[in-house]
Amino acid sequence: MAFDVVASARQEREEHVPAWRRTLVTGLTFGGFAFYFALVGIVTMFHGRWIIVDTVSLGHALLIVTAGAAGLYIAYKARVGSYQELLLQGAGAGAIVGAVMSLLVLVIVNFKLRFIFVQLWKPLLKALDFGQDPWTAAVILIVGGAVFGALGVLFFIMNPAIRKPIVAGLVAAGIAGLFQELIQLMIQSYGTFRELFFTWDGMTLQGAVILFVVFAAISAFWGWRRESLNARFERLPVNRQKTMRVSGYVLAGLLVLVFPYLAGNFIGQVLMLVGLFTLMGMGLNLEIGLAGLLDLGFVAFYAVGAYTTALLTASSDAAFMQLPYWVAMPIAIFFSICVGVLFGVPVLKVRGDYLAVATLGLGEIVRVIVLSDAAAPLLAGAQGILGVPRPWIGNFELSTPVALFYLTLVGSLIAAYIAYALENSRLGRAWTAIRDDEDVAQALGINLVNVKLLAYGLGAAFAGLAGSIFAVMLGSIFPHSFQLIISINVLALIIVGGMGSLPGVALGAFALIGLPELLREFGEYRFLFYGLVIVIMMRIRPEGLWPSASRRREMNVDEEDRAVVEAELAASKAPAKK
Amino acid sequence: MKLKKFLKGTVVAATFAAAAWTLPQVQAEETKGPVTDEIGVVMIPKGAPIFIGGYWTISGPDTALGLDQQRGAEIALDDWDGMVAGHKVKFVVEDSQCNAEGGQTAATKLASNQNMVVVVGPDCSSAGTPGGPILWKAGIPSVATSTTAPTLTAADRPEGLHGYLRTIYNDLSAGAADAEYFFNEMKCTTMATVHDGSPYAEQLVRVAEGRFTELGGKVVAAEAVTPTDVDMRPLLTGIATTKPCVLYFPIFVASAAQIVRQSSEIKGMEGTTIIGGSALMAPGFLEAVGDSAVGFRFTNPDASDDAFGERYPQLVKQYEEKYGEKPIQAFHANAYDGMAVALMGIEKVAKTDADGNTYIGRKALRDALFATKDYDGIGGKISCNEHGDCAGFKFAVYEFTNGDPSTFEIGTNPKKIHP
Amino acid sequence: MTAAASSETRNGLDRLKDLKRLSFVDVILWALRIGVLIVVVGGSIGTLIKGRYSMEQWFDFFMFGLTIGGIYALIALGYTMVYGILRLINFAHGDITMTGAFSAYFLARGLDRSGFLDANPVISMILIMGLAMIICSAIALAVERICYRPFRHVATLAPLICAIGASFFLQHSFRGMYGSSIRAYPDPEWMKGQVNFLSFEVPLYQFVVIGISLAAMLFLYLVVQRTKMGTAMRAVSEDRDAASMMGIDVNKVILFTFILGGCMAGIGGVLYCMVYKQIYFYMGFLPGVKAFSAAVLGGIGNIPGAMLGGLFLGVVESIGPALFLDGIGIAAPYQLRDLIAFTMLVMVLIFRPQGILGERLATKRA
Repeated sequence: MAFDVVASARQEREEHVPAWRRTLVTGLTFGGFAFYFALVGIVTMFHGRWIIVDTVSLGHALLIVTAGAAGLYIAYKARVGSYQELLLQGAGAGAIVGAVMSLLVLVIVNFKLRFIFVQLWKPLLKALDFGQDPWTAAVILIVGGAVFGALGVLFFIMNPAIRKPIVAGLVAAGIAGLFQELIQLMIQSYGTFRELFFTWDGMTLQGAVILFVVFAAISAFWGWRRESLNARFERLPVNRQKTMRVSGYVLAGLLVLVFPYLAGNFIGQVLMLVGLFTLMGMGLNLEIGLAGLLDLGFVAFYAVGAYTTALLTASSDAAFMQLPYWVAMPIAIFFSICVGVLFGVPVLKVRGDYLAVATLGLGEIVRVIVLSDAAAPLLAGAQGILGVPRPWIGNFELSTPVALFYLTLVGSLIAAYIAYALENSRLGRAWTAIRDDEDVAQALGINLVNVKLLAYGLGAAFAGLAGSIFAVMLGSIFPHSFQLIISINVLALIIVGGMGSLPGVALGAFALIGLPELLREFGEYRFLFYGLVIVIMMRIRPEGLWPSASRRREMNVDEEDRAVVEAELAASKAPAKK
Repeated sequence: MKLKKFLKGTVVAATFAAAAWTLPQVQAEETKGPVTDEIGVVMIPKGAPIFIGGYWTISGPDTALGLDQQRGAEIALDDWDGMVAGHKVKFVVEDSQCNAEGGQTAATKLASNQNMVVVVGPDCSSAGTPGGPILWKAGIPSVATSTTAPTLTAADRPEGLHGYLRTIYNDLSAGAADAEYFFNEMKCTTMATVHDGSPYAEQLVRVAEGRFTELGGKVVAAEAVTPTDVDMRPLLTGIATTKPCVLYFPIFVASAAQIVRQSSEIKGMEGTTIIGGSALMAPGFLEAVGDSAVGFRFTNPDASDDAFGERYPQLVKQYEEKYGEKPIQAFHANAYDGMAVALMGIEKVAKTDADGNTYIGRKALRDALFATKDYDGIGGKISCNEHGDCAGFKFAVYEFTNGDPSTFEIGTNPKKIHP
Repeated sequence: MTAAASSETRNGLDRLKDLKRLSFVDVILWALRIGVLIVVVGGSIGTLIKGRYSMEQWFDFFMFGLTIGGIYALIALGYTMVYGILRLINFAHGDITMTGAFSAYFLARGLDRSGFLDANPVISMILIMGLAMIICSAIALAVERICYRPFRHVATLAPLICAIGASFFLQHSFRGMYGSSIRAYPDPEWMKGQVNFLSFEVPLYQFVVIGISLAAMLFLYLVVQRTKMGTAMRAVSEDRDAASMMGIDVNKVILFTFILGGCMAGIGGVLYCMVYKQIYFYMGFLPGVKAFSAAVLGGIGNIPGAMLGGLFLGVVESIGPALFLDGIGIAAPYQLRDLIAFTMLVMVLIFRPQGILGERLATKRA
């Protein structure tokens, strides 16, 4: 309840902001974004790619979106005021964005700052000057900015019934243009269909128009008919509704199952990595999500699983024997469990953030040992272990990424079932109890040592399986694959997905592992976007994409808490204004 | 009712599956237009681009290594005006992350493009080991640009690497030659080595140690660092107590620069000559070391005066013009050559019919690449043997004469002091 | 008499029972202790018997360790202060260090080229560090605004993950802006001298670095102990709600903490670059992890603890490989430098879970 008060108070304060000031601040902020994009080279790099061939480059699209967003933001913030006023403000903010960019053009032309900022150079100029002299370019940038800023406002104030289809169309065309390479790879066998939308340089104007129209039409139709369709569905007998739902799920499940097969090896490979990280995420989820043991050394178990498999199956001299994969895999899992338990013992009494650092240390110890010359006689050191054979089922070699993906999928499903069963078992409840309060749990007669070690051991088993599949996926194992960053990624994915929730883990893995792979389009900038996406995701949904029911309840309580903070902040600011 | 729906779903799925089977399979004899090839033909319709792939490390701590090579290859492409066999080249670069899973994912993506003709790269042997076979399985040969691991071009290498060649030397020849120089020319009988845990440096050091011992020398210290280490003083103090005649550290720019800078401070290192490897042949190294570089020596394949001497400064100039900084690592010249070899190979086997469609036989292209002989590359003479080793290794030692990166010019700074 | 005797026998019996109760866990912990002890003692004896290193060299090792340890300590202060106030790990702190040092590089280069750096070392260093401090503080504040403030009253790992995202973002933004090559900080003449100390020749820069870092830490300690803001900081770290009720502006205190941490990171970053010369976009990550470990080692949330932890970590890293590993003939001991550092960290946490100077608060807060 407190939240409403704060929100309305804020709104009141903001309504007092004079229009010119809002325009200036918004324009400068978004101009700052555009400036940043230019300075780190995103504009230059995007300008080298078409979103619509020979019409709009990705770099220009980025600038257009920035100017439009400035207008949109103005309209969103202002709420009141006549359309003319808003449009004028939006145009002003957009023009400021354009002005910032034209300033950049003039700086590039007149100053040599390149020894500091490597991007301030001809390629960026080419992206910004439209082949004109600097002053003409400045005019174009400012006028263009104003137009798109005004369009942003227009976009906000237009009737939702019109806006929604436009959004749908733009998003569809935008995605198709952005991920054109990936989409083209998927549909490359259907030549004429592909050529309808794409050339190998990118999406054609014709393709963009078709996509826009089709998706806008679908969206408009849906907006128009949704009510009646829903109503018709509601009128159906209950068991009929149920069958329809179930068959919907089955169909969706089947589609998911068949999709990698259709989409080819690259998608198979990406999904397989997602699967491996889902496996690890489920393991870590037992430790953190259920038992509350923050673990930053998870990569150690992954490494143990991979190395055990490689040492037991590889054809190279480094291996001890050449067992079939199906024998080696359980041994690898067993070894991981042992290491997990051994790993857990020393840190039993360590809690909270100290635990995070202790486990980080243990994980690093494993990594250093694997790479070291000292352990090279056993683990082959920097040269890695080559010649790990692929698994066979009867006479069928699981050699393609797609085949291995199905192996990972089966492993994940089994693991998910085990994780699910554990969660609702006596052990799972014991874990939850020690997560909530160790001392109380102990007083209730829970054996902390056993329960914690089981969490480490079972968590490690999942990672061991993932590592084992990883070894056969690569066919060779190098120590450089087992960096701290993997532990961090696994932790991040379960939190982004929603702690303690199994579907959340899969979703998180897709977002954090799948996404950077799909972002390969952006070359050396993909980790920049990756970081940005993580930050934004945490800001929008701090409880995760698919939080477990209990987490959601906790977060709701926290939400009220947050309102209190806001009130605190507002209160602390108020006297200062006097 | 449920069953019926389920069956319906299965039928739909089966249709999809059937559709998938119709995807063309690679690796079979094929005839398209005027070309017949054992493992497949790529047809490029008139006006369509020819796809060339590349994969290097362009993210994470080793970004400079891969980015440098990507740029080298891009400059080569510029020199060909972005065209080969009458078609525009579409150069698709992927991130290999300098590890096995990155190499595999990148190679899988490149291989999944049915129009991909040839791939240049990667930079790290750990990426090439799984990556090469994936590409070759799809009929795509790869021209690696800085992977020196001997296993990649060994005579008994696995079938998957038969489409893999490289425009850089093999650790076996380089390491042995370095050891021979220390023993025979410098008259050293004691040697200390440092590697950085990369397969490249470790292999080189092991080979050199083996050869040095064989010749009758003694390895007094075999140490290792991590690429991110900055404080080399304890390490160097330790090495100094063994009084080696030569300290050999064929490692990368960042950590090598620390050793060069700090070795002069260490008491007891006065009698030791420090010698780096070819990863240091770059203005970026001078940038990192500064004036401490003066008098510092490193071994490098001989940049023969006819090739390196004339065209290399031009390459550096183009590089700076295009990317705003001087070459940041050492192997951009090898990458340039890699791209050049790939383009020449395509030029050789591509056949264009009357309609302007071009046909490239995959096996034919592979053979053409392996048949590259006596090409004056910027990084040295390129002549491929039957196992894919193309950089004819000619040993040389260079010495830096100035610490200012803008004076970097092969021949004068660093200048060749041997042979 | 009898009572005493019986109590003694009972003690004996208890001990016997204890032995029987010796669980799997204890066995492993004892094995770990004994193993580490054997390596440490055996290695040290082996090394000393071999006599490979002279007294002077041991002293050198110690000074190398103090130099890098002082820098770790400065960076560790940022972690520890933020933790003390917010109970959160500022994962992006290492990269914040990089941003300041990287930006100040261009100033340092300019000063070097114009000869000002050689002529006026003190003014130049103040300018360079000042710039680094401003940039670090600004970015630290931005990180606080974006990643920490929204989660201030929420018990969640979201800010940690958010900071991880910010860390990627900072690295790659600066790579894009300043390029990916390694740049070298200038090497002014006045840093190259030698000083005679306790009859050992010691490079001047080591004194400079150790001196500046000690001075900075002393300054920080005084700020925290003696000023009004420092008192407020301590109050907030003790109990935020109570402090807020006492009229302390918690928001201001938190901002001040981030600024202070940013300033220390700025100094630490520049010193790091003055000693090790290199600056590139990824250079903050590892010192960040090390400094973070140092903060925990000393007892996180504890300012003298962070200083002690940093120095201790630096010295062990420097001396460890030679002292412990050389003696037992391990191949390439310097590759295992991180192993020693982290083993020590884990050992400290096992046997003193709250760190060297930490309070028992860890258990309560976990």
